[in-house]
Amino acid sequence: MRGLALTGVIALSFGLGSFYATGHFGVFSAVNLALGSLALLAATVAGVRRIRRIGGPHSRPVILRGALLIVAAFALALVLEQSATRSRIQFDWTGEGRFELSPATLKACGEFDGELTAALYRSEGDPRTRRTRLLLQRLAQFCPLVVRELLLDESPEDEDRYAIGSSNSVVFAIGDRFETVERPTEGAIYEALYRLRSVSNGVVTVLRGEGQGDPERQDDLGYSGLAVALGTEGYRLQVAVSAAITEIPDDSDAVLLISPRRRMRDSTIDALRRYLAKGGRLVALLEPGVESGVESLLAEYGLEALPSVLVDPASGAVEDAAEGLNIVAYNYAEHPASAGLNQNRMTFFPGVRPIAARATRPGDRVMGVVWSSPHAWATDDLSVLEQRSGRVERRDEPQGYRYIMAAGRYPRDGVETRIVVFGDADFASNRYLRALYDLDILINSVHWVVQRESQITLRPKIRDTVQFPLPMQDTLRTLYGVGLLVPELLLIAGGVVWMRRRAA
Amino acid sequence: MTALLALVRKELLSLFALPTAYLTLTMVALVTALIFFDHLRIYNQTLFLYATTTMGGFSTDEIPDYINLWDAVFFPVMETLGLTLIGAVPLVTMRVFAEERSRGTDELLVTTGLTPTTIVVGKFAVTFLFVTLMMGVSFVYPATAIARGGLGIEHLAAVFVGLTLYSIALASIGLVCSAFASSQLVAAVSAWAVAFVFWDFAWVYPFVSEGVAGFLDAISLHLRYGSFAEGIVSLSNIVYFGGVVLVAVAAARFSFDLRRVGA
Repeated sequence: MRGLALTGVIALSFGLGSFYATGHFGVFSAVNLALGSLALLAATVAGVRRIRRIGGPHSRPVILRGALLIVAAFALALVLEQSATRSRIQFDWTGEGRFELSPATLKACGEFDGELTAALYRSEGDPRTRRTRLLLQRLAQFCPLVVRELLLDESPEDEDRYAIGSSNSVVFAIGDRFETVERPTEGAIYEALYRLRSVSNGVVTVLRGEGQGDPERQDDLGYSGLAVALGTEGYRLQVAVSAAITEIPDDSDAVLLISPRRRMRDSTIDALRRYLAKGGRLVALLEPGVESGVESLLAEYGLEALPSVLVDPASGAVEDAAEGLNIVAYNYAEHPASAGLNQNRMTFFPGVRPIAARATRPGDRVMGVVWSSPHAWATDDLSVLEQRSGRVERRDEPQGYRYIMAAGRYPRDGVETRIVVFGDADFASNRYLRALYDLDILINSVHWVVQRESQITLRPKIRDTVQFPLPMQDTLRTLYGVGLLVPELLLIAGGVVWMRRRAA
Repeated sequence: MTALLALVRKELLSLFALPTAYLTLTMVALVTALIFFDHLRIYNQTLFLYATTTMGGFSTDEIPDYINLWDAVFFPVMETLGLTLIGAVPLVTMRVFAEERSRGTDELLVTTGLTPTTIVVGKFAVTFLFVTLMMGVSFVYPATAIARGGLGIEHLAAVFVGLTLYSIALASIGLVCSAFASSQLVAAVSAWAVAFVFWDFAWVYPFVSEGVAGFLDAISLHLRYGSFAEGIVSLSNIVYFGGVVLVAVAAARFSFDLRRVGA
């Protein structure tokens, strides 16, 4: 019986071995697996017969108890494993939180009414699909998502239908709508889910023509990333040439003013004034060293963009600027636009003009939302913006918290005006938008001004894979010093033990 | 408790009195070091190659995202070690019960007043200690190399936990085989075969329904410990390996019952 069982398991393992080695079933695999299974079956039958022969009235309860113990252990293990699976407890030790889904992704996934499916299309042996599979499984733990896997070779029709370009693509579908994600990182999945929701949050008018930031420009200095992000969040962007307008378009849910580089026409400022007076919403991104005329309008609402440059020594030297000019902010007021941000979730502002915030009328609620450190100070010398290194010398300027971003609510005449002002615009450019939590503070500010607070969330961050080399010489030294030395010492110990046993 | 400790002490002494233990430790540590070094070397060379061709340095977007420490080093090391351990762990477990049975000393052990459960628990505990030591020794080099490079030590810890749990599961399979076998060779060969079958059930999928395939997925060793290589330490996978130990202890205990009734 034991010989039969041994033959069975050996045949079975050779059958499997040949399958794993070649990747398909040949005659060798099939014959070994068939013979191995038969031998094991025969051995089991023989074993059961033998036990039944042995089983007298006294031995049967003993055997039964032992067998029941195994069944009970298996059942207990199964129950515990199922409970652990349901508890969804898992720890992400990737060092970069690769499988920790952001609140935005979970929210986007949880907002679908019908059955959402995710089909992972892969080629055999594509190593990237492991991670995608884990990501989708993690997502499916938190929202009603049905995950399927399909081989690309077996689904040529789907390849055309969903425009799948390569293996490791995921098609999210609900009803007859679908979104294809070619490189399924969490960020890409989040954006696909948002597009699939097809939610409309309103129209954002972007003023252009007086040196403002260009939402169509795609290089580092452009703001096309912001335009795409607003589109993903359900906003339709419309561009208005500020020099030509007499009124802000009526269908605007908000106006976005990105760093005008010239003085804006009085007619444009007046149009903005009338728009705000009837409950309009404005997000203004203002650079230091530029007086565009909108500053006086903002001052009427208690938001004063000061004509100076903020220096925050706590930020040190970041990028290509003197110490403290590029500010890493980590102080936030309790405000919907900064929800979820804290000392560990920082925002980055390269070159900032400080904002002063003070209510000008009873009932107005004006506050600083993003602050510098308490060591910050403001200098009127705008030439420091050109300084590429070293320290900006402080003369007698007082140090203290300064506002980098401020927000105001103005309930007047039955309508509520909302304004957000940032003392910087570069942070929203393509170069910096995805740095730290810059995108979140800006998009959440837009959500806040248009009163879509329910859309406020923190979005997934781009994860950098570890792509740095380990110094070869160092690695080699470690191999000799530890990697080979430890086995060598163990072998010597084994040899000594063997010789002592022989001597004994 | 005293009896259990005495048994553990005796088992440990007899384990380290044999050159097999040292040979196994040496083999696993050496294989781990060489596999790890080799993957690290290829990874470094590939990175340098890309850095040279693109002339952009390491922080450009030119390097494909699949060339990273996880995909190029951790995962293949874990895959190779997974198969190596199937070969190595039964060498440790084969003698634990089978040797005593072939010499007839197992009956002596029962006469000392130790219950079969105590004997099984004691022998399992010693074996688990040994395989944990084995994994610890083999991870000294990768941990040192990674720590000196200042990269991914958390991820490496996940790999270590995964491989240790996997080794413990393999040891459990080996111990059950040893408990039912009267010869060490039979114990080792059957442990290799059983572990190999439980490694992965992908070969069965073309022949079974989706439900059965899902169940087989859930019990396959490869998929369970694979997520550790990705840096995910999940409670369900830890409990799965604990479950393997639980069932193995019950099965090994059953072997004593069968002996008692003369099977």
